[in-house]
Amino acid sequence: MERKWDYKTSLWVDWCPGCGNFGILTAVVKAFEELGLDPSKTVIVSGIGCSSKIPHFVNVNGVHTLHGRAIPFAMGIKLANPELTVIVHGGDGDLLGIGAGHFVALGRRNLDIVVIMHNNGVYGLTKGQASPTLPLGVKTKALAKPNIQQAVNPILLALASGYTFVARGYAFESTHLKNLIKMAIKHRGAAFIDVLQPCITFNDVFTAEFYRKAIYKLDDDPSWDPVVRKPEEAREKLLKSIEKSLEWGDRIPIGVFYVNEYVLTFEERLNKRLYKYPAINPSNATIEINGKSILSQQEFEELFKDYIVVVER
Amino acid sequence: MFILKEIGIILGGPQGAGLETSMAILGRALTRKGYGVIADREYFSNITGRHSYIHMLISSTKLPRSLGYPVEILASIDAETVFTHFKDVAEKGVVIYDKNQLDKNIDNVPSMEDYTRERIKIILARLGVNPTIENIVSYLEKERNVVPIEIDFISIIRKITERFKIDPRQASRYVSGLIVSAISIVIGLEEKFVRYGFEQQFRERRHLIEHNMALYELVYDSIATFRNIVKVDAPRIALNKLMILTGNDAIAIAKIIAGVRYQSYYPITPAADESFTIEKYEYNEVNGKAVGPIVVMQTEDEIAAICSAIGASLSGARSSTATSGPGFDLMVEGISFAGANEVPVVITYYQRGGPSTGQPTRGSQSDLMNAVFAAHGEFARVVLSSGDHVEAFHDTVEAFNIAEKYQVPVIHLLDKFLANMIASVPVPDIDRVKIERGKIVFSRSNYKRFDLSNLISPRAYLGADNIVMWHSGDEHDEYGHIVEDPENRLKMYSKRIEKMKLVLEETPSDIKMGVYGDKNPDYIIVGWGSVKGVALDAIEMLGDRIKLCYINMKLLWPFPQKEFLEIVKDIPRDRIIAVEHSHGVNIASLIAMSTGITIDRKIAKFTGRPITLNEFIEAIEKIVYRNEKRMVLAYGA
Repeated sequence: MERKWDYKTSLWVDWCPGCGNFGILTAVVKAFEELGLDPSKTVIVSGIGCSSKIPHFVNVNGVHTLHGRAIPFAMGIKLANPELTVIVHGGDGDLLGIGAGHFVALGRRNLDIVVIMHNNGVYGLTKGQASPTLPLGVKTKALAKPNIQQAVNPILLALASGYTFVARGYAFESTHLKNLIKMAIKHRGAAFIDVLQPCITFNDVFTAEFYRKAIYKLDDDPSWDPVVRKPEEAREKLLKSIEKSLEWGDRIPIGVFYVNEYVLTFEERLNKRLYKYPAINPSNATIEINGKSILSQQEFEELFKDYIVVVER
Repeated sequence: MFILKEIGIILGGPQGAGLETSMAILGRALTRKGYGVIADREYFSNITGRHSYIHMLISSTKLPRSLGYPVEILASIDAETVFTHFKDVAEKGVVIYDKNQLDKNIDNVPSMEDYTRERIKIILARLGVNPTIENIVSYLEKERNVVPIEIDFISIIRKITERFKIDPRQASRYVSGLIVSAISIVIGLEEKFVRYGFEQQFRERRHLIEHNMALYELVYDSIATFRNIVKVDAPRIALNKLMILTGNDAIAIAKIIAGVRYQSYYPITPAADESFTIEKYEYNEVNGKAVGPIVVMQTEDEIAAICSAIGASLSGARSSTATSGPGFDLMVEGISFAGANEVPVVITYYQRGGPSTGQPTRGSQSDLMNAVFAAHGEFARVVLSSGDHVEAFHDTVEAFNIAEKYQVPVIHLLDKFLANMIASVPVPDIDRVKIERGKIVFSRSNYKRFDLSNLISPRAYLGADNIVMWHSGDEHDEYGHIVEDPENRLKMYSKRIEKMKLVLEETPSDIKMGVYGDKNPDYIIVGWGSVKGVALDAIEMLGDRIKLCYINMKLLWPFPQKEFLEIVKDIPRDRIIAVEHSHGVNIASLIAMSTGITIDRKIAKFTGRPITLNEFIEAIEKIVYRNEKRMVLAYGA
């Protein structure tokens, strides 16, 4: 029997005891195990912050990048080698504050990448400042005054941006979250999971206790079907998911909000132009033969003939 | 008029009138006949209406490297061109103008900036010339023996639109062909070459070839008496095949040949054309060989451009991005990441006038220090510059080789002058192209991405079989995991910086610098990038009076101290002159910090226009004969 790959590294996980990130890490590792992902063909790309340390704790390729920039790094990695499974992890400040432009751009492209947002409402590593998902008027314990800026709705933004798989999980509903991650990885196109996550140290408002009371599973309603099953349904399903995304407060839905596999992925769009892509791609295309150009002088002149002028004597 | 070896032309008109098209047609037509051509394109940050012009030099004896004033031909599409450039026409030159503009007063040229208008009015008042086209033409004719060549633009174009039943709203499209025809006739360029120029330009809109040739005939009939009034010698350049292209194109083509398969960019002048050209060639097959696919990605900003290029590099693609100053500023954190994680990536940096938006369509070399020093922390980077199109081609390939061999970000520092200038150049020798990808590991157990046993840790691409690795912008151990241990820090931090020693040791001397001119000079001129052409022409022209040598610095960082000191060892320090398109002539500061040599003779130009031969020669003469220390140049409209 084949030896099972250990998807956890041996590093000590340096999050605060009780941190929601532990639940997310468990779900990620379990999802990878169940999917049997090849660790050398899988890449976790993260930004900066507590949650963005996650690549070091998972035994697949990890690229721990810059604050807010995990998505563009991931985009380059994936476009150059479309064979890779690429998963982005970042906090809410990372993805929706400093990196919001990239978050929107990924939706527009529908590139086959999974974005998992660790959403705790605060900037933990810098001692608890308000993040873009903390509602207006909320005063968490590190804040001197109540939050003066409004929250952005991550699900609504993802839907508006064009993500074709949009879901919300909860850090301590680990099995539910694991299943969402598996679905997101299997989905073709840009997938987003908003993961509600208590910050035990700095967020004393949106606590584990708060979420335990507020969250409910969309799946509990047998009539909830977020999947676009034929292209004509897309608008209706999108409108329903938008409506659902507005629920917040006493009752917060978790589960899948929207799935649409009828939108062309970026890889498919590229294929229409670069017709050998993704089979032949930037990471495996031949660019030299024994250290020389793949083109001879004559072939070079043929390819760039538009720029060449033969003098007529 | 006697027969000239070379002629200068200013071809001007409003932005949007097709001057770039005129430049391309004329350039190809003249190259077809065997002339050497170079042309600078000057324009505003504007789509339609502002004054733009082409400054061109045609040579019968060589491939020209620089531009100068005065010019033999001023070809104007509008009145503003005549007002702006009349003083640059050579004695006995020609001015081509539109008859319908004759009574235009400078106060009725709304596209002209008020500052410029007032400046020109003062000049005209001093000459006693009323500010109308008629008066200026008459002044040029009487006082400067300039030949006026009048063309009725409206009537000629109307004949074309009537004959070919063209919507009169499209009439302005024919202005570029009209002016090309007029110039061709004046310099005696045979019809077959003009036709070749139109054919090449309008390959995909063939009806325009016929329209433009009909236009040529009408212009010919209208100015037949001026045929070949400007006599340029028959071409005597011993090359049968040339390329004619902009710097942007030269670099785009070089990137394709170098194996770039991921190029990212955010639209910015004067860099975006490079990415357009690469995109045009994103996938091709030649003799059954695939060239590509190349993913050309227009990103949401320059931050995404650099970060995605780094990502693509991690996956094993040769990757690059192209930008200008404002975009480079946004990329700086990404470059720092590439430094920390030893990721090869090439940033093609076309300088324009700063600070801030500055002069977005004008040239500059004021970002040397930005390229060399921008970014927090210390790490190895390479800054390479190129003096002309041919150098830029080969240096582009070299930039990727250096990036991959040493696993460093490489900044290829160029400028707007090169980016937009078209030049006829020899076809690059593809046999000279070497592609070196550095040490690569394709499969290994217990792989350490940042193995400390060598300065260069063998690189594996993401996705390599059986390899799992980490990268982090945080200080990391050999595996790429975050580690703050002081001893690890000492080793890892030093390793990254010390790679620069290898770059200095192993880079061939012709990539570090080029030395031209007298072996035993009275003066040494030091510059880099676009200064090269004008410097080489100047040292040649001054050669019989002043023995000069030009050092074309190419490897700007790490600075090749040893080689530089060797070249200047026998020259007194006050006989070194530094030149740059900037206020600070910052190359002198870079040399001072790298070699201890202080240079206080400087030639600076920061108007956004290229240094021209006439003003450069004058500046050197003033330094040599009048002991001037600092010359600030300002020629050109």
